[in-house]
Amino acid sequence: MKYNKLRSQRVAYRWMVIPSLVIYLFVMAFPIVLSLIISLSNFSGGKFFNGNPWHIVGVQQFVKLFQDSSFWHATRNNIYLVFISVFGQLPLGIFLAYIIYRKIVKFGPFWQGILYLPAIISVIVIGIMWNLIFSPYGPIAEVVNKEYYKNYNSKLVKVMESSFNEDGKLIITNQLVQNIIKINPKSVEEKYENPELGLIGVLESIKDEEKEMVLSDLSNLFSPVWSADFLSKDIVSMLPILFVTLWCWTGTYLILFLANMQKINSETIESAQIDGAKESAILIHIILPEISGTLVNAAVLCISGSFNSFAMIYAMTGGGPARLTQVLSIYMYEKAFVGVPNYPLANAISIMMVLFSLVLVFLTSICNKRLKGENNE
Amino acid sequence: MLTKKRIMALILAIGLLTVMLFASGTKEVAKDNVKVEEKTTITVLDYMDATAPGYEETQKIWQKFMDENPNITIVKEDLTNEAFHQKMASYIAAGKIPDLMYMYPSGRSSILQENHMVKDLEVLLGDEFLKSFLPAALNVENQSGNYLAMLPQAVTYSSVVYVNTKVLRDNGLEIPTTYADMVAMGPKLKAKGIQTVLMANKDDWVMQSCLFSTVAGRFVNKEWIDKAKLGEVKFTDEEFVSALRFVDKMYKDDVLSRKTIQLSYGEVPGLFASGKAAFLIDGDWRQNAFVTDPASKEALISPLSQQEDIALISFPAIEGETYPGVVSSTSGCGYGISTEVSDGSYKESACKKLVEYLYSVEVQKQFLEIGKYITSRTDVKSDKLEPLTLKLIEFYKEVKGTCYVLDSALDPSVYTVINKVLQEIGIGSKTPEVAALEIQKAMDIYLLSKK
Repeated sequence: MKYNKLRSQRVAYRWMVIPSLVIYLFVMAFPIVLSLIISLSNFSGGKFFNGNPWHIVGVQQFVKLFQDSSFWHATRNNIYLVFISVFGQLPLGIFLAYIIYRKIVKFGPFWQGILYLPAIISVIVIGIMWNLIFSPYGPIAEVVNKEYYKNYNSKLVKVMESSFNEDGKLIITNQLVQNIIKINPKSVEEKYENPELGLIGVLESIKDEEKEMVLSDLSNLFSPVWSADFLSKDIVSMLPILFVTLWCWTGTYLILFLANMQKINSETIESAQIDGAKESAILIHIILPEISGTLVNAAVLCISGSFNSFAMIYAMTGGGPARLTQVLSIYMYEKAFVGVPNYPLANAISIMMVLFSLVLVFLTSICNKRLKGENNE
Repeated sequence: MLTKKRIMALILAIGLLTVMLFASGTKEVAKDNVKVEEKTTITVLDYMDATAPGYEETQKIWQKFMDENPNITIVKEDLTNEAFHQKMASYIAAGKIPDLMYMYPSGRSSILQENHMVKDLEVLLGDEFLKSFLPAALNVENQSGNYLAMLPQAVTYSSVVYVNTKVLRDNGLEIPTTYADMVAMGPKLKAKGIQTVLMANKDDWVMQSCLFSTVAGRFVNKEWIDKAKLGEVKFTDEEFVSALRFVDKMYKDDVLSRKTIQLSYGEVPGLFASGKAAFLIDGDWRQNAFVTDPASKEALISPLSQQEDIALISFPAIEGETYPGVVSSTSGCGYGISTEVSDGSYKESACKKLVEYLYSVEVQKQFLEIGKYITSRTDVKSDKLEPLTLKLIEFYKEVKGTCYVLDSALDPSVYTVINKVLQEIGIGSKTPEVAALEIQKAMDIYLLSKK
């Protein structure tokens, strides 16, 4: 009797699982296997291209990939994304969720909504918006450069107070030249091999202009200029993307953690408070252990999301300039669809993305087991 | 036993089945010489920027064809820039390209051309229709498939220097005739907070298409590029490296700011129109962004300002150039018809009718008047053209000679490398000499693959 019941349960289980399993195999597993096969082949698009039949040729695409510096560069950028996601979004999400949950800040639901808002805006819109914000003619550059201009201009006014004659025309002296250079030596030295001579040349060319025009011209020429072109440098080019990633997705994890915190028995926290525990102790010894499972799942989501990241980065920088902000998904996309398609190489990249994700998820799982083990002790 | 519910379910199932059987539509069969009313659907992938002036007018032009041809249904996709190219690539990869599509003479449409995935329009449209088009537009050597795979709507000059003459006048400057003149005016412009040259170099193709192709053409001609494609000369030869060095010099002279690497394509028309720079270097198609939008009746640069304050010139003379005055040009884009459309079918005649309509005098005149492009039809006249469009027509007449737009002449595996290294020169991370080595390496790989 018991055996029949067990058997019928197993049969029912199999019948219920089979549809989902079939869908999973076709939608998830089959493409991965096909991708692996194509990455090991010389597939060139089939009949719509050169019509050559394709066959397995081995790991030459992977060898080509490992020898390509662009691949390692893109991988490095993805690691940065993983880093900011796991060590930026998650801690920040926990912290914000905690202060809302513990009502340390007022108007919790309002802040919840505001912080979650970026997650519901189209990533393309976000990418384009931040692209414009960071533009050399964007709002950040405008505001900062106006301040720089104002600051420089005010110093210039003091330096040139007594340099205009009764007719309002400029009187050029060596002392004036030295004083102007001292305000911002770097900007004059960058422009002229001989800064004094160069500046004298400029002053000569504008000496007949009105006083306000002279001050404006000199400020335009020599005031410091902030521009986002520092983002064209390799080391910092990913910073705006990392910032926007943090801004965009922290709200999602805030909601996730907040929902889990709200399930915690409030009496536990009250008891801790009665025992004299501070907020930091409550967070570390009560809240974090309670949501540790969610934290691990969130870390897995962060890792997979970081490797899949495409749309926002493509809208923001296109992977440029000069491939500096290229991530693996954009690199793969380029190999598959831009210029001459190389499908085996593109699939090799996607296989590597899957492998990297699996390694990181495995490491996360090990960390989780070890932490759980320590807690149980 | 048949319960009420089961009867209802049966009736519903039969009803649905009946609907599905007839869902494919009706086709009346010809009987006794009665004319057949055939219907067909044409899928179209078009290159259109919904934010550009003239979009609504263009949509009306398409709608008029559909209204006049109720038997022809057009399912149209409008995309622009990279989105268009990626969608086209996806269609090709899926093995199902649209019936009618916007195409380039080479470059991005090389796959369609070289694999003969589109029909020969010379055969389909015939001499009678094609006699009204510029010989340059019908020259099949300009198309990578070497046949009339698409009918160019225009001849395109990819490098035009738009000059804000008001900015120059206000600062006591003249239109430059040499690069040295441009360098000399830099400090004066900068003193007024004005950039010398503006370009949208965030997209890597812009520098290559809109400036470098012309600069390269001043140092190496079309024959040299043809020889490079055969491996008879190298991109590391002094002539070509000189062209790369010139681009580097433009950045170092601050004629072209390194900030332009951060400027996206959509930002630049507004910046130029608001006087942020004395010069804008872009393709001739960019004039479309400045003229009056027929729908909103607004222009980024008013017609009066176009007349008084804007001039169009080719890039000034460069010291050491071998081919002075040449400007990069190529056959413009146009429409092609997929070979999947069966020969002699009603759909093919519908596609032909649509193409003849789009290239008709009436429609080409409308496109000319909204500033879309300067038509390749020789029999189109209009007195409604805005000053900037008239200036562009004059510019075409004044161009001394032409050179290749590199992305229409070279294989994608080579020109994508040129695009990348030009950006690297722009951000200062690569020297011209190293850039040339990288380009030649890409060409060597390409030549090896062809053996």
